[in-house]
Amino acid sequence: MRWLQRNIRPEQIRELSLLLLIVVAVLFFGSLIDGYYTSRTFNRIAASVAIITVVAVGQTLVVLTRSIDLSVGSIAGCTAYFAGSMAAAHHDLPPLAVVLIAVALGAVMGAINGVLVAWGRVPSIIVTLGSLAIYRGILIDYSGAKTVTTDSLPAWIVDLPRLTFVTIGNLDIRAMFALAVAIVVLFQIGTSFLNVGRQFYAMGSNPDAAHLIGLPTRRIVFSAFLLSGALSGLAGFMFLARFGNITVEAARGLELQVVAAVVVGGVNIFGGSGTVFGAMLGAIMIGTLEQSLFRLQISEFWRDAILGLLILLAVASDAVILDRLRALWARTDLKLVTRAEAEP
Amino acid sequence: MTLPPILRRWETLLLVLLVAIGAVNIAWSPFYLGVGNIVNLFQLSIEKIIVALTMTLIIVNGEIDLSVASVMGLSACVAAYLFHAGIALPWALLASLAAGAAAGAFNGFWVAYVGLPSLAVTLAGLIGYRGIARILVEDRAYGGFPDWFNALGQQPWIGPVTVSIVVFLVMFAGVAVVLHGSALGRLVYVMGNNVQAARYSGVRVKRVKLLLFTASGTVAALAGLLYAARLGSVRGDMAVGFELDIITIVLLGGVSIFGGSGNLVGVGLSILLILNLRNGMGLANITGNTQTSVIGALLVLSVLVPNMAQTLHTKWKGRET
Amino acid sequence: MNRTTGHQKAVAAADSAYVLNLRNIAKRFGATQALEDVSLALRAGEVHALLGENGAGKSTLIKVMTGVHQPDRGEILLAGEPIAIGSAAEAQRHGIAAIYQEPLLFPDLNVAENIFICHQNRGAITDWRGMVREAERILASLGVSLDVRSPARGLTLAAQQSVEIAKAISLNVRVLIMDEPTASLSAHEVANLFRLVRDLRAKGVAILFVSHRMEEVFQIADTVTVFRDGRHISTRPVREVTPQSAIADMVGREMGLLERRTPAPHGEKLLSVQNLARAGVFEGVTFDVRRGEVLGFAGLIGAGRTDIGLALFGIEPATGGSIRLSDSERTIRSPRQAMALGIAYVSEDRRQLGLSLPMSISANITLPVLSRYLNRLGLIRTGQERATAEQFRKRLAIRTPSVDLAAGKLSGGNQQKVMLSKWLNTHPTLLILDEPTRGIDVGAKAEVHAMIGELAAEGIGIILISSDLPEVLAMSDRVLVMREGRQMAIFDRAEADSETVMFAAMGQTTQPAITGAAA
Repeated sequence: MRWLQRNIRPEQIRELSLLLLIVVAVLFFGSLIDGYYTSRTFNRIAASVAIITVVAVGQTLVVLTRSIDLSVGSIAGCTAYFAGSMAAAHHDLPPLAVVLIAVALGAVMGAINGVLVAWGRVPSIIVTLGSLAIYRGILIDYSGAKTVTTDSLPAWIVDLPRLTFVTIGNLDIRAMFALAVAIVVLFQIGTSFLNVGRQFYAMGSNPDAAHLIGLPTRRIVFSAFLLSGALSGLAGFMFLARFGNITVEAARGLELQVVAAVVVGGVNIFGGSGTVFGAMLGAIMIGTLEQSLFRLQISEFWRDAILGLLILLAVASDAVILDRLRALWARTDLKLVTRAEAEP
Repeated sequence: MTLPPILRRWETLLLVLLVAIGAVNIAWSPFYLGVGNIVNLFQLSIEKIIVALTMTLIIVNGEIDLSVASVMGLSACVAAYLFHAGIALPWALLASLAAGAAAGAFNGFWVAYVGLPSLAVTLAGLIGYRGIARILVEDRAYGGFPDWFNALGQQPWIGPVTVSIVVFLVMFAGVAVVLHGSALGRLVYVMGNNVQAARYSGVRVKRVKLLLFTASGTVAALAGLLYAARLGSVRGDMAVGFELDIITIVLLGGVSIFGGSGNLVGVGLSILLILNLRNGMGLANITGNTQTSVIGALLVLSVLVPNMAQTLHTKWKGRET
Repeated sequence: MNRTTGHQKAVAAADSAYVLNLRNIAKRFGATQALEDVSLALRAGEVHALLGENGAGKSTLIKVMTGVHQPDRGEILLAGEPIAIGSAAEAQRHGIAAIYQEPLLFPDLNVAENIFICHQNRGAITDWRGMVREAERILASLGVSLDVRSPARGLTLAAQQSVEIAKAISLNVRVLIMDEPTASLSAHEVANLFRLVRDLRAKGVAILFVSHRMEEVFQIADTVTVFRDGRHISTRPVREVTPQSAIADMVGREMGLLERRTPAPHGEKLLSVQNLARAGVFEGVTFDVRRGEVLGFAGLIGAGRTDIGLALFGIEPATGGSIRLSDSERTIRSPRQAMALGIAYVSEDRRQLGLSLPMSISANITLPVLSRYLNRLGLIRTGQERATAEQFRKRLAIRTPSVDLAAGKLSGGNQQKVMLSKWLNTHPTLLILDEPTRGIDVGAKAEVHAMIGELAAEGIGIILISSDLPEVLAMSDRVLVMREGRQMAIFDRAEADSETVMFAAMGQTTQPAITGAAA
């Protein structure tokens, strides 16, 4: 027990149990659906998970600092449309340029949120509730309610979803999924082994202390929103590649799925704890449910009801079980302290 | 009620804005002051402003209810489903109100008795209740309600005023009395400021929270039924996204997202402001989406401007000495 | 910048004996002059105590030194060189750090990271191994053993203070400001803390020590400075200061130390507790309280005293034993039940658990018995509310322009009086006071003590929980001592002196660390 407690934190148990739950869900659906264990199923789930994951990474950073970004769906919609119409108008635009346009536009929109929250001192829920409406409104006005169509896009974008990055056995890992995993790895490393990454945790864990000991609190919050915007921009591009047809309604409601992924993934809604990796697990859990229920056909309408229940369970288990575990861990720590005090 | 001067000034600001928008509207359109237009102006958003009243109680209490729009959809779907299953409409309506109350109480249970954050619980409700509504009606549209039901939503009742508007006015008065005159209202504020202090003073905080969430669910269900009556048909995606407009109305009314401050005068002014703004923009042929953007901007500015003013004020003072 | 003249150089040389020298600092907030022409000089290897009532300007000065506030006038010299402290980060770069009453830790980060989080030159990459090694080394040098990999969440206050000190040491501070670091610590923990402070002093750190506890100041300080109303009143070596003279400087008049309260006549038995327990928190608690009696609860922080209060008030109900009130057996499961039985509990934490700060004084006072102020329609009769508040304002001398003022705008002492009013308004027969004088100034403290005497004389039974030992001894008729969730002893007024009580509170193995007597 002592060994366990020294080397594993309660939060990690939380992630492990989610991983286990995903395995159980996959086994469960596998027993119900014929031909479930095929690379087609995998790719379907992976394609939907990839987009949610990329946005969820940014959302995790924001939630860690005790804020929330509800505008991610509108940002992804805007960037998908804008990048799409740019690519449609200029077929000779290099791929990297299109991606960079999407990311840059997303970053600008995120930066506006960030400035209002960090320097304007407006609560993030208000800022992003507002920008959710504003960005979507700008998109509708800008587009004149026209649609980007698959036909108008250059071939490389249309083919992108089927581009395979690497083949393991008979599983094709698509480039977009690989990109999402790469981003998770990058940010997981960044938030665990970079001092600027640790500051997100410090900020959300105790904002007053962060200010008093001289951490650049405003810059931390700003960069969380900036990164969330940029990653939503990237997700917008991925959305464009995946669906091709982009209406003004693109990615509407994405924020709900993303916040759900983050919460299910064990990121504390009040900041300070949780990991990027956990958020990805949350996204995988949601993606698996969504795609598998879709395959079960009869149950398509059950998806939201189950998702709602899942969020509730995730939060409830955090509150009830995680607190117990933490208390257990803390009591051991306390014993160490009292022993230390008795010694001198 | 003691309110800091800045809030007192907030209502003044809302009033000034309201008068300005009214003046522009009068200048812009000869129809604006017509009785028909004024009734219509309320009628178009009546369900949202009804729910905004209970949302005010919830936010002042320091919580939030994101699930209201889904409960509106759920209640309409329950009524339609039962009605088409052959149950008399009055019973179906009662059952749907009960479903709304149960949905609210379910939220309230997790928030009050398990101690989960309402943001997460009602986010789950937002997704989950919508899911239940979709399970019931799938992708069908239910119509064919009796005339008396449809009349609830559309027909003038007292003079040109419809039933929905009467419901709103009665509820506004009721909520105003509860929030500003009754013991419950006092407890709502105290808990919004400091829920622990309330508990240590013998306030039954769990019960109050449960009550508020149940009320919120019930009122949302009522609003959902009125919405169904107005549209004359019910679909699974009814009222999707309404929660944003509802919360915007409350916050623009000067209610703090952190709870404990704000009042119903501000919310009333905010309702009038938003209705007139939308109406004016509508008369000027500005689309619904641009209207939503403008209101979104107004929401952000409503917090940003006082903050900036305060910062400048402090700086100014610093320079003087 | 002016060119330095010979005279100024000479002054600078004299100043360089001081690590940090604040000269003629002034700071104004709106209408209040928080600091007026204040000077303070800190020497290396010296503990400099700063005394003053609440509102004397201590906190403002600390915030000026740590870069939270900018002074309107005056200069700050660090080792003789004028510096500007624009932010908390800059203060740290100058080697100035502060430890506050409430430790500023990050509950989700582990101990090692908490120690090093504010290091600005720790590069881009988090050196977990190095951090753990270094944190263990520093804590070991302090004689504290903590698992540095465990998160700060759940550490005791004392352990958190140790982490704060380790943080200061890791920064190689030249100036350490300690703002009431002992307010929430027990005597044993204070003794440990003082050992650390002496170590730091020996290493040449200049320490500014702010405290309300007079006896601690005389234990640890080399120099004593007193502020009053934002002005500097006196700075003297500690041997030239007596508690009486320091208090006189603080309040601007002579004032006696705590005098023993004259006991009131005791009436019938009010409360009788047998073997009361709450699983995992305390057990085997047996005592009774009579009308007009003050029963003091002494013990270290975390000994379970507050928990007994919470159990009697139904916030965290007891899980074993019996409670008899006026000779009938009761179970108390909620504060409402406790209130109905005539019990009132004045919490130790005014700001978090006691008051609704933005609400008016009158709304706070009537909150527990709001139903008494309703008319037939269920609406609140505000006139009657205000009348009640006015009564208490007179009775307890609450200093406020109006009872409609937000409670948060009052000073700590006056907030405490509002708390007392709130609970007296429930007409309790048993009043539990938890740390009723923590963090309030000398004048208000005396008034609260006088009030306790009056209430006992009226026949109310009082349980007084306090970490201020001289206070417990002066006010109580009997003293119950707790240690680690167990009742150690109950002493009568005649037997209870600071040494016996401390001896019981620390158990058999440890010698008393502090004797309450300072004079």
